[in-house]
Amino acid sequence: MSEHWLLLSPAGAFVVAAMALFVIDAADPDATDGSLLSAVASAGGLVAAVASGALLLSGAAEPGVELVGGQLVVDGMSLIFTFIFGSVTALVSLASLDYIRELPHKAKYYLLVLLAATGMSLMASANSLAVVFVALELSSLPSYALVSYLKTDRGSVEAGLKYFLVGALSSSILVYGISLVYAATGSLLFADVAAGVGQAAADYPGVLGVGVLMIIGGFAFKTAAAPFHFWAPDAYEGSPAPVSAFLSSASKAAGFVVAFRAFTVAFPIGEIAGETYAVDWVLAFTILAVVTMTVGNFAAATQENVKRMLAYSSVGHAGYALIGLAALTGIGDGATALGASMLHLLVYGFMNTGAFLFVALAEHWELGRTFEDYNGLAKEAPLACVAMTVFMFSLAGLPVGGGFLSKYFLIVGAVGAGVWWLGAVLAVNSALSLFYYSRVVRAMWIEEPDEAREIDSYPSALYAAVVGAAVVTVLLLPGLAVFDVAAFDAAAALV
Amino acid sequence: MVLGSVPAEYYLVLSAAVFCTGVFGVLTRRNALMFLMSVELMLNAANINFVAFAFYWGNITGQVFTLFTMALAAAEVAIGIGIILVLYRNFDDVRVTDATTLRW
Repeated sequence: MSEHWLLLSPAGAFVVAAMALFVIDAADPDATDGSLLSAVASAGGLVAAVASGALLLSGAAEPGVELVGGQLVVDGMSLIFTFIFGSVTALVSLASLDYIRELPHKAKYYLLVLLAATGMSLMASANSLAVVFVALELSSLPSYALVSYLKTDRGSVEAGLKYFLVGALSSSILVYGISLVYAATGSLLFADVAAGVGQAAADYPGVLGVGVLMIIGGFAFKTAAAPFHFWAPDAYEGSPAPVSAFLSSASKAAGFVVAFRAFTVAFPIGEIAGETYAVDWVLAFTILAVVTMTVGNFAAATQENVKRMLAYSSVGHAGYALIGLAALTGIGDGATALGASMLHLLVYGFMNTGAFLFVALAEHWELGRTFEDYNGLAKEAPLACVAMTVFMFSLAGLPVGGGFLSKYFLIVGAVGAGVWWLGAVLAVNSALSLFYYSRVVRAMWIEEPDEAREIDSYPSALYAAVVGAAVVTVLLLPGLAVFDVAAFDAAAALV
Repeated sequence: MVLGSVPAEYYLVLSAAVFCTGVFGVLTRRNALMFLMSVELMLNAANINFVAFAFYWGNITGQVFTLFTMALAAAEVAIGIGIILVLYRNFDDVRVTDATTLRW
């Protein structure tokens, strides 16, 4: 029994680091040097990532261990995602050292990051609708505060307000959906919901169907999937860039892991849309995937602001990851696509975090926000620009980073599940995305700057985070082999 | 199908009515505080369902979850009021339509 608790050590690492920050802040609330705080937060993230990696590769959680009376479950999928959350938290905390160096309330900032990460790691393990809601709120509430962290900056406050308003609305929609599912099935545990869902679909198809649709709406908000993505561009543009990185990578992945588990375990598609028809969530996710991919990429192509372009590209990537759920048609093998979605979110965790941290670097240098402001940057900061080039091409799916392989797996998975046209939509959208990603690369390497500028400081922590993310992104091209078996096994265990 | 002497459907209708009142408030009110109150109505609509169907199904899962929902709603309001406070300091108003420095 006792060794089972070790399986929650990734979440434990976040909690311990958060408590340590509480103590440090209480002992010396006026401290201005943030390096200890940043080190503690990064260490927490790193320990969480290493612990989940070790547990994953050692197979300690096979085939899935239930804890706390079945409310939590630790399995391959939850460990893959806690690895993502740990890595992103570590990168973001490291980069924040330079980004918020001059700002007050540093300890609270890192504390909120770690508490949000705790919520996300619980979301990865949630095995009941009650835990889903509580963990989702634990990750959302600190995020609202983080987005409006620059409380004298109008953009940051506005972003926080919009994120909060839409977030509060969608969490109430989610909880109403949960209440309808409870009304129809009489249970909140995924396994019990699954056992009752066939009877409920026969007896109360309307109540169950509306409930499931509202739950989809709640998850679509968290993953910034169209048409629930309207908060995302504003929240990512207005908030401090490391927070944008954290939200668009980790928070999005957290929304996905909950959706993967909830829909595969609690609402088996054969029971809910078979002979007794309540709602066809695979169809709903198919529509969401196509709309999200297209809206995200077309909107990104029209942006002049790099951070906003990245925000819309992050909407587009949510569409790619949704293919994992849209491919669970029951025809053919849906597990490959689901596993590919997990791998894509893993790679995305590094390349997208890195891209936003590069924007943080540009904001640190006060370069400005548009593509033109990046003109000729490669002459002054070649290392960072090489890293950004890797992120951009990997996000577009060129074979310089792991993004190529994960998109390849997604297409293979979609074809294998009999929805080859979803793979085609992905390919077309990726080709379009190359247009706006390469604009950044062209600005940095080819264009000449309009006016002379000098960069006089090279913040080492921010640099380390950007370069570190780039190295991992490149290493994931061959290194995805370490994770792919685990991801496909985890997906097969769910389907 | 009988819950005491009141059919279970009535509770669903009641909660749906409360929920729709909340949605109406969200869509029409421009004051951020009114928005918060409307969201509270939507959460409480869910609580009506949980309590009524906990009785209907004969387990207390729903009633316990209601306690969680209420606690989280309070936490959400705490964060929300904080954000509305900095909104007021920056924009001198609490109307959600005033904050338009970021373009949609």
